[in-house]
Amino acid sequence: MGGLAARVLRRLGQSVLVLLVMSFVIYGLIGLMPGDPIDLMIATLPNITPDDIARLRSLHGLDEPIWLRWWQWLTSALGGDLGNSRLYGAPVESVIAGPLLRSLMLIAASLVIALAIALPIGILAALRPRGVFDTVANLIAFVGLSMPTFWLGIMLIMVFAVTFGWLPAGGVPQSGAGVAETLRHMALPVATLAVATIGQYTRYMRAAMIESLNQDYVRTALAKGAGRWRVVLVHALRNAMIPVVTVLALDFGMLFSGALITETVFAWPGMGKLIFDAVMGNDYALALAALLLATAVTLLGNALADVAYGWLDPRIGRGSKAP
Amino acid sequence: MVIFRFGLLLATLLFMFVMPVQAKTLTIGITQFPHTLHPTIDSMAATSYIMGLARRPITAYDADWTLVCLLCTELPTLENGRAKVVEVPKDVGDGTGRGIAVTYTLPAEAAWGDGTPITTADVVFTWEVGRHPQVGISAAELYRRILDITVVDDKTFTLVMDRVGFTYNSIGDFGLLPAHIEGPAFAENPAAYRSRTAYDRAPETKGLWFGPYRVTEVSQGAQVVLERNPAWWGDAPAFDKIIVKAVENTAALEANLLAGGVDMIPGELGLAVDQVIAFEKRHGSRFAITYKPSLYYEHLEVPLDAPMFADVRVRRALLHAIDRQLIVDKLFGGKLTVATTKVSPLDWVHHDGLAPLPFDPAKARQLLDEAGWTPGPDGIRRNAEGQALAFPLQTTAGNRTRERVQQVLQAQWRDVGVDAQIRNEPARVLFGETLNKRRFTGAVMFAWISSPENVPRTTQHCEEIPTTANAWTGQNYGAYCDPAMDTLIDAIEVELDRDKRAALWLELQEKMAADVPDLPLFFRSEAYILPPWLKGLRPTGHLNPSTLWVETWSVDGR
Amino acid sequence: MRAAETDRLSFARRFARHKGAVAGAVVLVLLTLAALAAPLVEAALGVDATAVNILDTYAAPSAAHPLGTDDLGRDVLVRLLYGGQVSLAVGLAGALAAALIGTAIGVPAGYIGGRLDATLMRLTDGVIALPLLPLLIVLAAADPTKLGIPPDIARSPALDLGRIVFIIALIGWTTAARLSRGATLALKQREFVAAAVALGAGPGRIMTRHILPNVVSPVIVAATLSIGNVILLESALSFLGLGIQPPLPSWGNMLTNALETVWAAPALAFWPGFLILLTVVSVNMVGDGLQDALDPRREAGWRV
Repeated sequence: MGGLAARVLRRLGQSVLVLLVMSFVIYGLIGLMPGDPIDLMIATLPNITPDDIARLRSLHGLDEPIWLRWWQWLTSALGGDLGNSRLYGAPVESVIAGPLLRSLMLIAASLVIALAIALPIGILAALRPRGVFDTVANLIAFVGLSMPTFWLGIMLIMVFAVTFGWLPAGGVPQSGAGVAETLRHMALPVATLAVATIGQYTRYMRAAMIESLNQDYVRTALAKGAGRWRVVLVHALRNAMIPVVTVLALDFGMLFSGALITETVFAWPGMGKLIFDAVMGNDYALALAALLLATAVTLLGNALADVAYGWLDPRIGRGSKAP
Repeated sequence: MVIFRFGLLLATLLFMFVMPVQAKTLTIGITQFPHTLHPTIDSMAATSYIMGLARRPITAYDADWTLVCLLCTELPTLENGRAKVVEVPKDVGDGTGRGIAVTYTLPAEAAWGDGTPITTADVVFTWEVGRHPQVGISAAELYRRILDITVVDDKTFTLVMDRVGFTYNSIGDFGLLPAHIEGPAFAENPAAYRSRTAYDRAPETKGLWFGPYRVTEVSQGAQVVLERNPAWWGDAPAFDKIIVKAVENTAALEANLLAGGVDMIPGELGLAVDQVIAFEKRHGSRFAITYKPSLYYEHLEVPLDAPMFADVRVRRALLHAIDRQLIVDKLFGGKLTVATTKVSPLDWVHHDGLAPLPFDPAKARQLLDEAGWTPGPDGIRRNAEGQALAFPLQTTAGNRTRERVQQVLQAQWRDVGVDAQIRNEPARVLFGETLNKRRFTGAVMFAWISSPENVPRTTQHCEEIPTTANAWTGQNYGAYCDPAMDTLIDAIEVELDRDKRAALWLELQEKMAADVPDLPLFFRSEAYILPPWLKGLRPTGHLNPSTLWVETWSVDGR
Repeated sequence: MRAAETDRLSFARRFARHKGAVAGAVVLVLLTLAALAAPLVEAALGVDATAVNILDTYAAPSAAHPLGTDDLGRDVLVRLLYGGQVSLAVGLAGALAAALIGTAIGVPAGYIGGRLDATLMRLTDGVIALPLLPLLIVLAAADPTKLGIPPDIARSPALDLGRIVFIIALIGWTTAARLSRGATLALKQREFVAAAVALGAGPGRIMTRHILPNVVSPVIVAATLSIGNVILLESALSFLGLGIQPPLPSWGNMLTNALETVWAAPALAFWPGFLILLTVVSVNMVGDGLQDALDPRREAGWRV
């Protein structure tokens, strides 16, 4: 047990280090972007004077070197103060809360639906490669994969909102709206996100399943008299899940970084739009908070995936060094 | 027959009952959501559009481009005595020691949404906030120009402006703030006012608003809901509720309109003209579509201090080589106006006797030959040193309309031997670095937005060339400098006599047409897609949005 | 497990047995040839791909313009072919680079484990966390002449292309790295690896001869999926204005441009979208064929 605790602590320590380094890299990247908000202000306000510029610069702390500003941000963040958003003028936490919830709703729903559809299809397709089911499943996956999200989104709006009028063309439900109304507003953006995801997971599941079904131990289990479905679902599937879990962990971070294009097309203000605006607006505090949150979730996801590997294939992890 | 009559009666009754239901809520779709609802902290178009429904500036330009009082009883002028030239200290303003004292009177019935009367205390409070160095109001210039405010009584006050200028009575930038609500937050800590303002913390507070509507609900990033303000003292507006929805993607916004998610798309923050033209072809019968010429001056900035562009013949040649009217007709359905200079044809000072340089490739070639650029073996002109007449053609990346225009320009210039290479940049790079710090070496296409009778000081005065010395302020990106122009600009600004000023304006425009400080393209139009039952909306074509007169909007004449 | 030596002839034979893969390969070759033949088609039709003609916009297909003209009067067919050059080059180069780098990082990380694994995987996590947008803008605004690249090349479209491939290579390898590491972790516990170790094989040999051939399956899927992603990424980049600059066509920017006028001229959006679909399908079919060809036991299928 001490070994497990030590591994967890080590992993935690490494993750914190990554977060620290990434915070500096992100701060630097944003700072490297040409043009800062004060420069942009000059373009829109003809009567601004050099004194104004200097005043505004120091007001927003833009006249100090980048590393110093990063350090100030870091020390106050570690003290619990993530700062105020320059764009919205409110504490960063309150600015992130709403969009975060909205992104979570959208992406979690689309991931769940995508997996629920893609995994069974992938498994079934793998049972009879190049059969009719496989060919059709592949084709549907390809179509989903090769469609740009903004294209698909607009198409769905045109069909379901404009032509048939069954669903709203975008936007968020008004406050106080019930579950049904919220679901109606979520239907199209979730469908848009799910389509490409389904395609991706179908392909991974199918390829991994084909590979797994051809392993020796599967044939051994069959020879020992195990039922076919049991063999498929219990023995072969476990190993086949490794790549699927890997990709899922990578997509996990998306829950928190949102989907910019889908959110824009459906006027669903989520993290994607927030991060975009924060970065483009040089809103360091907001951008850092949002991006580091997404990073932390990705780190968590990859860590969970590593744990899952050990569970899916018990031989992994018994010794982490090379034989 | 009886059934027919009964059916008719039923239909009429239904119509009468259904129509009022429609009249109650108006949903407006725009392409941007304001970052803050504070009226003066930043200068986003979305903020000013929504503010127009719930607040009024003291003065504004209306749809006929005349200055009117929106929150005063009478526009102060020298003629009616409410404005007087006074002495001011020599170390302020333009150093001449002369300023203007302007007296305004707020309407007697003017009151905030919670019933508290709007008084001069609010005016003084607004001024304090506006000129406080730590609050960070971006348009602080107006507040600084006001040297002092003399309170005459609860409703009347006199502003002492630090210089004489013909815009003395236009104080549209002065955004009144409610002292009784915002006062405590500001007094406690001015530096933190920005994050404590009730406009963002509690926008549904009645006392913040005093227009025909007040904000009742804000769904950050998505929509703002406004409802009828019972404390409004003007004409009652037609709708009980207005919802302003933001959909940034224009194709999605169109779809929302078609699906009924929004009722109208205003030109201030809506679709591009060529999109609306295409929309009109398909759905024009379902909507009332108007195009209002605006002040957006789309042009090309070139560096006049670069040898390639210093010769005015080259600049004229570049203009002669492009068929601007054809671009307007073919790409924009004829809805735009080719520009002669940066003064809009709708401006009262516009010189109607000048015309844009005509499309004449032969003349262009002749001028280029004269300027020493002769065609090389590949068709591109070269000068005596062998340098090619080649330069980057830049604009804001991702703007498809501009990209189309760029490609036409490129093709037409190539015909006369000019090689323009398209290198677009994101807006923040273009405005933040390339233009601001004068790093561009070729033509940059962008638009100026000004106001009616706007004197081109910042864009054409010698002192307004951005350099390190003035911390890169100033908007004279092309580095055009001519003392005669400076004299004209200075003279116009202080000329209070309208007729004399008009004569100076004619002279100024003739000089601009002759000197070609930048390459004029056209004045954009704003396209409004409205439902056929909405009447009374008058687009303005300038920065004061049409929402400032929302109480004149009606449903089918009711 | 599969023997380390693969008979090349039987590899080709196994690939050829996969009809879909062959069809996919043929389509890809045809697309590439067509794209490369763009100048020929241009000359044959007597049009100029960049010639703007605003008097003849949105023309219907005709003898002079087999697929009609676009919003600036340019021939659609020729632009599609030139666009194919860009998109196919970017897609294939980017995906290949990402797959190679990813596998080179993932396999050693999984096999050697320990500190190397931790370092490489934390590096991977960091790169995953890199926000794409500021990176793109910084790269777009960076002045290549400062790096010593002569101005002619710095201004050329080839640099735009290079920038996009560079970005994809920089951040696209993470999926392949995680996938190959995961597969390696599972594989290194197998008996055949222990056998190879017992026989005295060093880590390098084991990784290249035994592990690598067996992790290709998920990596090929990732690579083939990423080609479509890369082409679509280029489309999203032109959405933001950071992709291939006009007037140069690519399937991505043709698709984005067509979106605004999609109701007026749906064909303009259909063709680049269809070609992207065709490419994605073909590449994935070829990927399937490669997987099957590399592992002879897969073809049998499995009946339940």
